[in-house]
Amino acid sequence: MSFLVPCPQCGPRDVYEFRFGGETLRRPSPDATPLVWTNYRYMRVNRDGNAREWWFHRLGCRRWFVTERDTVRNVVSASGWATGD
Amino acid sequence: MTDERLPPADGEVIDRGSRLRFTFDGKGHSGHPGDTIGSALAARGVRMLSRSFKYHRPRALLCCDGRCPNCLVEVDGIPNVRACTAPLREGQRVRSQNAWPSLAFDVLAITDRLDRLLPIGFYYKTFYRPRRLWPLYEKVLRRVAGLGRVDITARPDLAPRTRHLHCDVAVVGGGPAGCIAALEAAAAGARVVLVDDQPALGGHLRSRSLPVHGDARIEGLSGTRAAQRLGELIAEQPGIETLIAATVFGIYEGTLLGVNQGQTVARIRAKRIVIATGAHERPALFDGNDRPGIMLGTAVLRLARLHGVRSGHQVVAIVDDGYGWSIVAELVAARVALTAVIDIGSGLPTPELPPGIEVIRGAAILEGTGSRRVTGLRIRVGAAERLVPCDAVAVSLRPEPATGLIAQDGGERRYDDRIGEFVAARLSDAVSVAGDVEGIHDDAHTMASGALAGLEAAVAIGLGTQDAIAAARTHRAACRASALARHGRPVALDAPGGRKQFVCLCEDVTVKEIAQGIEEGFEDLETLKRYSTLTMGPCQGKMCQGLATRLRATLTGETLAAAKLTTARPPFQPVSLAALAGPHLEPVRRTAMHGRHAALTDRWIDMGDWKRPHIYTSVEEECRAVRERVAIIDVSTLGKLEVAGADAGSFLDWLHPNRFSDLKIGRVRYRAMCDDAGIVLDDGTVARLGDTRFFLSTTTGTIDAMEQWLTWWLAGTDRDARVTNVTAQYAAVNLAGPRSREVLERLTETDVSKAALPYLAATEAPVAGVPAIILRIGFVGELSYEIHVPSDFGGYLWDQLTAAGADLGITPFGVEAQRVLRLEKQHAIVGQDTDGLSNPVESGMSWLVKADKDDFVGREAIAAVTARGPQQMLVGFELPERTVPEEGAAVIRDGRLVGRVTSSKWSPYLGKTIGMVSIPIEQAADGSEIEIRLPVGTVRARVATKPFYDPAGLRLRM
Repeated sequence: MSFLVPCPQCGPRDVYEFRFGGETLRRPSPDATPLVWTNYRYMRVNRDGNAREWWFHRLGCRRWFVTERDTVRNVVSASGWATGD
Repeated sequence: MTDERLPPADGEVIDRGSRLRFTFDGKGHSGHPGDTIGSALAARGVRMLSRSFKYHRPRALLCCDGRCPNCLVEVDGIPNVRACTAPLREGQRVRSQNAWPSLAFDVLAITDRLDRLLPIGFYYKTFYRPRRLWPLYEKVLRRVAGLGRVDITARPDLAPRTRHLHCDVAVVGGGPAGCIAALEAAAAGARVVLVDDQPALGGHLRSRSLPVHGDARIEGLSGTRAAQRLGELIAEQPGIETLIAATVFGIYEGTLLGVNQGQTVARIRAKRIVIATGAHERPALFDGNDRPGIMLGTAVLRLARLHGVRSGHQVVAIVDDGYGWSIVAELVAARVALTAVIDIGSGLPTPELPPGIEVIRGAAILEGTGSRRVTGLRIRVGAAERLVPCDAVAVSLRPEPATGLIAQDGGERRYDDRIGEFVAARLSDAVSVAGDVEGIHDDAHTMASGALAGLEAAVAIGLGTQDAIAAARTHRAACRASALARHGRPVALDAPGGRKQFVCLCEDVTVKEIAQGIEEGFEDLETLKRYSTLTMGPCQGKMCQGLATRLRATLTGETLAAAKLTTARPPFQPVSLAALAGPHLEPVRRTAMHGRHAALTDRWIDMGDWKRPHIYTSVEEECRAVRERVAIIDVSTLGKLEVAGADAGSFLDWLHPNRFSDLKIGRVRYRAMCDDAGIVLDDGTVARLGDTRFFLSTTTGTIDAMEQWLTWWLAGTDRDARVTNVTAQYAAVNLAGPRSREVLERLTETDVSKAALPYLAATEAPVAGVPAIILRIGFVGELSYEIHVPSDFGGYLWDQLTAAGADLGITPFGVEAQRVLRLEKQHAIVGQDTDGLSNPVESGMSWLVKADKDDFVGREAIAAVTARGPQQMLVGFELPERTVPEEGAAVIRDGRLVGRVTSSKWSPYLGKTIGMVSIPIEQAADGSEIEIRLPVGTVRARVATKPFYDPAGLRLRM
C-alpha cells in the first residue's frame, strides 16, 4: 500500500500518515431490530469500486474526513469534511 | 597467472596506474580501480565463479550486467553478491558459493550425472513419503540446495538510510533514451530524477565505439564519447537529480518507485514515470549452453571495452539478425579475438570483416563441448556436423525488451507480431516507455522515442507545449516505421535434443524438464512455473522468461499472441533486508520527571512509547510505604483529554453508559466507555473543571485511539464540543497514603481537608507555587491526590513533594507496586483484565450502566447482554500459598477450559497470591473454588468478589 490520500486540510499525503476509519455507516435508530443493529456492527459492503470511507490524518492535522476511494486501484478521487448526513 | 589486458582504449573505466589486492577462495589476486570483482577475476584468467543450484555445474560470467545468477559470490561474509557488477575494493575477501570442498572439485557435482534421478518436480515426487522422514530430508536438502551461506552470528556494520524524493518525472534507465527523456522533460521545466543501475550514464553506448546517430546533441560521436557527452549534458541541465548504481526494484501504487542504492533505499514519489529499461540479449538453447565461456555478446564487449579484459583467444559469435551483426562489428573494433561468426538465420549479407574470421550460415548449434570451460561448438550445417573450436562464445541474439517494471505497475504486455516481441500493450496513466524496451533496436528510434516520452511527461503535468509534442510524435513515428521496415524477426525456436539445454540457469531447469512438465499436464505457464521453479530463482526470470514463454508455445502449439508473460513481483533486483528495514529508529517518550527516576532506579518498563520506573527499591517496601505512610508515583503517562463547549456534557453522556451532564463543577466521576457492540474500550475519570470544561483521563496505551474515537463522533455533527489531547501538556503524580494530606498541605494554601476536598472532589489551585489540577482520586485504595501541573514543572513538583514529605518517609513507588496495590482493591485494568469481547456487564461494571439514559453508544448491545444475563464474570481470586499462576493461565472445570486468569500477583502486604479471573457466572460466587492450570499441574483457588483490602472503601475516603 503506498497510495496518496488527499487530506482536505493538508493536501495529498502518503497513506501511512493516516488511519483508515472504515466505510461510512448510518447508525440505526434506538428502536431498530436486533438484525439491523447486528448488520450495522459487523456487516460491511466491502465494495470493489468506489467506496465512501472515513480517514483520520494521524500524523498531520489529526482530523477526520470522508473520501471516495476506488478500492481496486487504490485511487482516492474525492475527499472532504464529513457533513451531517 | 598473468593479468593480460588488451591495450588501453578509449572509454575504458579502469585505472591501469594502480592496483587493488583481493583474495578469491584464499588465493591472492589484484585488479585495477574501476574493475568489478568479475572483471578483475576474468583478467586473471579465473573463469569459474560458482556452482549451479541443483546440478552443481560450473558457472562463470554470463551477462556481466547484474541480471543473471551465474556470478554470485560471497564478499566479506555477505552472500549472493553479483561479482559482475560489484566494484572491486582493496582487501576484499571473495569466496565461491555452492561448492564443497572446493570450486574445482565439488562433491555434489555428481548430481549432474544423476539428472535422470532428479526429474522435474522431484521435491514433490520424492521427498513427501514417508512423511516422518521429511525433517531429515529437509536438513540434507537445505545444505545441498541453498544459495550462499548466511552468517547468522555476524553483526555487520550497516548504516542503512531511507531517502524520500519527490519529483515531476522519474526516468528509469540512464541509456540514451532515458537520458534524452530526462533532458527534454527538465528543459520544459520539470523536476526530474534519473535512475540507472550502472556506475555511469550512457547504457549500452558506454561499450560501443561505432558512431551514434539520431540526436543532434551526440550525432556522429563514438558510443563511449556519446555516453560521456550525455552524462555532461545531464549534469549541466538544471532540475535533474541522478542516481547511478541504483536499481529501481519496484513500482508501487501512487507512482512510487522503490530504489536501492548501496545501503540506501530511496522512495521516489513522481507524477510521471518514463520506463527506459532497454533490452537484453536472449540466451541460446543448445546442449551444454551453460558451459563457462559461453557469454552474452554484450558481456564480451563490456569486458573488453570497459575493463580491457579478453574473454578468450578464440571467440565465436552467434547471431540471428542485424543486431547481432552490429555486435560483431563492435567486437571486431574492440579487438576481441573473433575466429568465427555463426549466423543462425538473419539472411543478411556478410559485412566486411578482418581476415581470419570464418562466417558460417544456416547452422544449427547442437552442443557446447568441454566441462569446466567451453572447448567448441558442435554444429550442423545442412546434413553435415562439425566442431567449431573456441574458448569463448559471444551469444548475440536479438535482445528482449526488459519489460518487468511495466507489469509491476499494472501495465499489460502482449506479443506484438510486427515487432516479434512482448512489448507494452497497455500502460497505466502515469507511465510511458522509450527506447529498446519498445522492442526496436535502432539509434534514431531510441533518440526520438526518448525525446517524445520526456516532452509528453512534461506536458502531462502542465509544462511544455502541445506543438512541440506534435513534431516529436511525427518524428518518432517516422523513425519507428523506418526501423520496422529493416527489422528482422527472431528465429523460430526449435528444441533440438539433448539433456542439458538450460532454460533457467538459476534453478537448473532444462528444455527436457519443461517438456516433461507440459507432458504431465502443467501446460499453463503459471503452473509450469510453480512446478518447475522456472523464473523463480535469483534472477526472477530476467534471463529465462522470454525463452520459457517461447519454448512453451512451441511445445504446446499455442500461438505467442495468446501467450502471457508471468509477472515478476518486487523486488525486481535483490535488496538486502537491512536496506529495506532502514535505520532502526524507535520513538521513546520520557516524562518530565524522568531524570529524577533515573537517579533512583534502572529498572524500567515500557508502556507504549513511554518509559516508566518499574521498581525503585522493592515491591514490598514500596507497597508498605503506600499503605502505612506516604508515597509518590509519576502518572504523567496517563492519557489526558480536555473536552470543552456548551455540548461537552451531553457529548460525554452520548459516549458513556453513565452520565456526566449532571456532574457538578469540582467533582470527579469514574468513566468506562463502550463501542456500539458494547465492548469496553477504555476507562478513566472525568473531572468537571467548569461549566463547559471537562478533564478526562484515559489509560496510557489508549489515548490516541480515544482522541480519535471522540473526534470521530464529533465529525460532521453540529455539537458544540472540542476535544484536545493534552497528554503532553501536563506532568502528573499520584500522592498516596494515609499521610499524603499532610504533605500536600505543606505545599498549598488551598484547603485540602476532608471537608473541603473529599473523595472524588477536584480543584484547581497552586501547589508549590505552580498552577495545578488536584483530583482526589486514586488507584491504590488509599487517601490520595492526583496532581497535574504544566509539564515544564514536572521535575520541580517531584522535588518539592519528596522534600516536603521527607520527614514522613515519603517513598517513590513504581508500576509493579501500583499493580499489586490495585489488585488488592480489585480495580480492573481495561485491556488487561478485559479483552476485545468484554462488555461492562460481565466485567463487573454493571453499576455504571444507567438504564434510564436515552440512547448512547453501546446502549442496544449492553441492553441485549443485560436481558440475557451475564454468562461470564470478572472476579477476584486468592491462593493461600506463594504460587502465582501466569497471567493468561487457564481456568479449568472437569478437564475443560472455562476461563482465564487476567491478573495475578503475590501481595507481600497481604501475604497471599491474589488476582482476577474471568469465569462462568455459576462459579463466580464469593468463596467458590476454581481450578487454575499451572505450567505443571493445577492449583485450587478461592473466588473473592470483594476487594481483598479495605472492602468497605473507608481508607480512600479518609
